[in-house]
Amino acid sequence: MPLGTLDRDPPPFFRQGPSALSKLAVFSALAFFLMVADVRFKVMQPLRVVLATVLYPAQWLAMRPVLLYQHSSQYFSSLATSQAAQQEVLLKHSLQSQRANQVEQLSLENVRLRKLLGLRERLQAPAMAAQVLYDAADPYSRKVIIDKGMADKVGLGSPVLDESGVLGQVTRVYPLVSEVTLITDRDHAIPVLNTRTGARGVAFGDVSLHVDAMELRFMAANADVAEGDLLTTSGVDGVYPPGLPVARIEKVERRVDAVFARIYCVPLAMVAGAGHVVVLEPTTTQIPARPIPDVVTVVPRRGASK
Amino acid sequence: MIMRPGQQLLLPANPFFIWGSLIAAMLVNMVQNMGLWGRAAWTPDVLAVVLVFWTVHQPLRISIGGAFVFGLLMDVHQGGLLGQHAMAYTVLSFFAITVHRRLLWFTVPSQAVQVFPLFAVAHAVELAVRMFNSGTFPGWWMLLAPVAEAVLWPVATLVLLAPQLRAPNPDANRPL
Repeated sequence: MPLGTLDRDPPPFFRQGPSALSKLAVFSALAFFLMVADVRFKVMQPLRVVLATVLYPAQWLAMRPVLLYQHSSQYFSSLATSQAAQQEVLLKHSLQSQRANQVEQLSLENVRLRKLLGLRERLQAPAMAAQVLYDAADPYSRKVIIDKGMADKVGLGSPVLDESGVLGQVTRVYPLVSEVTLITDRDHAIPVLNTRTGARGVAFGDVSLHVDAMELRFMAANADVAEGDLLTTSGVDGVYPPGLPVARIEKVERRVDAVFARIYCVPLAMVAGAGHVVVLEPTTTQIPARPIPDVVTVVPRRGASK
Repeated sequence: MIMRPGQQLLLPANPFFIWGSLIAAMLVNMVQNMGLWGRAAWTPDVLAVVLVFWTVHQPLRISIGGAFVFGLLMDVHQGGLLGQHAMAYTVLSFFAITVHRRLLWFTVPSQAVQVFPLFAVAHAVELAVRMFNSGTFPGWWMLLAPVAEAVLWPVATLVLLAPQLRAPNPDANRPL
């Protein structure tokens, strides 16, 4: 038998290294430190960017078989499917064309009326098309990855739309991809406007119903909210341009013992299966800076603090 | 070294094969996420299985430090909390080190039963960390993940031990 064929080196007597327990303590402490720095102090984004750049070739490689499968399945999809899709698009187009033809005239009229009233011009948001690559694997949140990043000048906090409504907001930007938090994520809030009544509110992501849904919170129990109301962005946050459709109210629960009504909404965007999306530039850059608040000098009255 | 009864003499493990298998397991995890099941919580973590396998079989080569680094990479890929997989894999690797002398004396199916608690603990660590940080509960399907990982243990043993089971001096009768 040739030498060196057995994996039976005698274990080293003196060079044992640190014990497993001490290693466990050190690395757990390090992981704990990373978590605190990530959640509390938000200082881990540079490390994330570096690791994501290291990881990108692996992700690119893992994406190849997935893309190959998707392309080949598209290639072999039947003629009937594509014809049906085309019919659907044509129908939608003809429905929209009537309204679209009026847009020129309406926007002209709007501009003139606004000038007449001396209002600010509506904010214009430059747009960029992007593609959803895959769902982020974290099962504890609702995020997707899109194929535009720092190289395409995606700004942090940019609103992301799909063809039917607001999809979410860019929350992390990597060199070549970005992470979009969906409007159904538990930590995501979006200011909305009820188009029927004009009442403003805030909609939060809600996954407690085991489906991707939203909840309109802090509406009084006797507020005028009905099933089927359309919620659009109100534009008061300076992030989302006003008037983008967000959700439709599905169910309103009013209880006598609660101050607020429980209002469940269904997002209009395809949060589970969006393919192509539009990334807008946040309107935060266009709105004027906040005025400096007047410095209130409090002069303590004599004898007041006794 | 005490030999187990009926134990086959193994060739030395190739370090390139060890690290290559770990990277391949990470790629399999990525493909599961990107192409197959999205963010489903029940998907088996293949990287965890391979990490435990090498920690049990080659504790001098793969240890807690390596597990920590792969955990960080998984965190960045998943886009969750930075450090949750690092902590789960650290704990997993520590328990794998503690059982590694005993585990290999059993048959492969009973090994699979004995590594199941390890995977369950790793998932529990992850769940505890995320629930503490206002995460969404991913649903009861996540209980399937450690079961699937324990089921993958015999497969991992078959595939990852194969290069070491070859004949030391291949000839015409024993080409492999």
